[in-house]
Amino acid sequence: MFRFRRPLAGFRMRALRRLYQTHLLENTAEARGLRLLRSWLSPEQRVQLDSEGAFEVIGSDSGKRYRICYGTSTNIREVDLAGKPGNSWCFVPVGGLVAGDVMLAQKIALETGETAALMVANKVPLLFCSR
Amino acid sequence: MAVQVVMDHSGDRRHHFDRNDLESVADAERRFHELTSRGFTAAARVGPGEVSKISAFDPAIEETLFVPRLIGG
Repeated sequence: MFRFRRPLAGFRMRALRRLYQTHLLENTAEARGLRLLRSWLSPEQRVQLDSEGAFEVIGSDSGKRYRICYGTSTNIREVDLAGKPGNSWCFVPVGGLVAGDVMLAQKIALETGETAALMVANKVPLLFCSR
Repeated sequence: MAVQVVMDHSGDRRHHFDRNDLESVADAERRFHELTSRGFTAAARVGPGEVSKISAFDPAIEETLFVPRLIGG
């Protein structure tokens, strides 16, 4: 099973990285959102975003790790200490915002008010996660 | 100059204000209350990549970010 999944995951990662790097150079809403996001990330999170198209945050209440992937829906994945993925969560700011803004809102919510954020979030069991 | 950054569909809107100008500060304070009363969360940087929510207007903060209300996606 992994033999089929891994090349696809690598392809998706490369495609996302290319999309992300292209967006950064433009003067579009998408690009402004990404630049805003980058300016609010820690240096470590910025390196993760640039190289993996995703970054990790620590939940303010539980201390759990979450991986926020590039995107605007079902893009938050719990990660255990061994790096194994768990359930996905989905919550977004209202207003049809671009990916960078959504990801920054998710970072701030998880790092400063994890419980409140997860109360409004939809939980997607691991079984149905594709990221 | 300090700045208030409001997330919106265009990426963000930026409102600069002069901390030494009373009228400019009053405008910024009015904007802070208007946005937070509409459900926006105000946040400020407290370190590299470290963020804190703020509940009261503080003109000393260099950059305040306003995030719209969250809903389940």
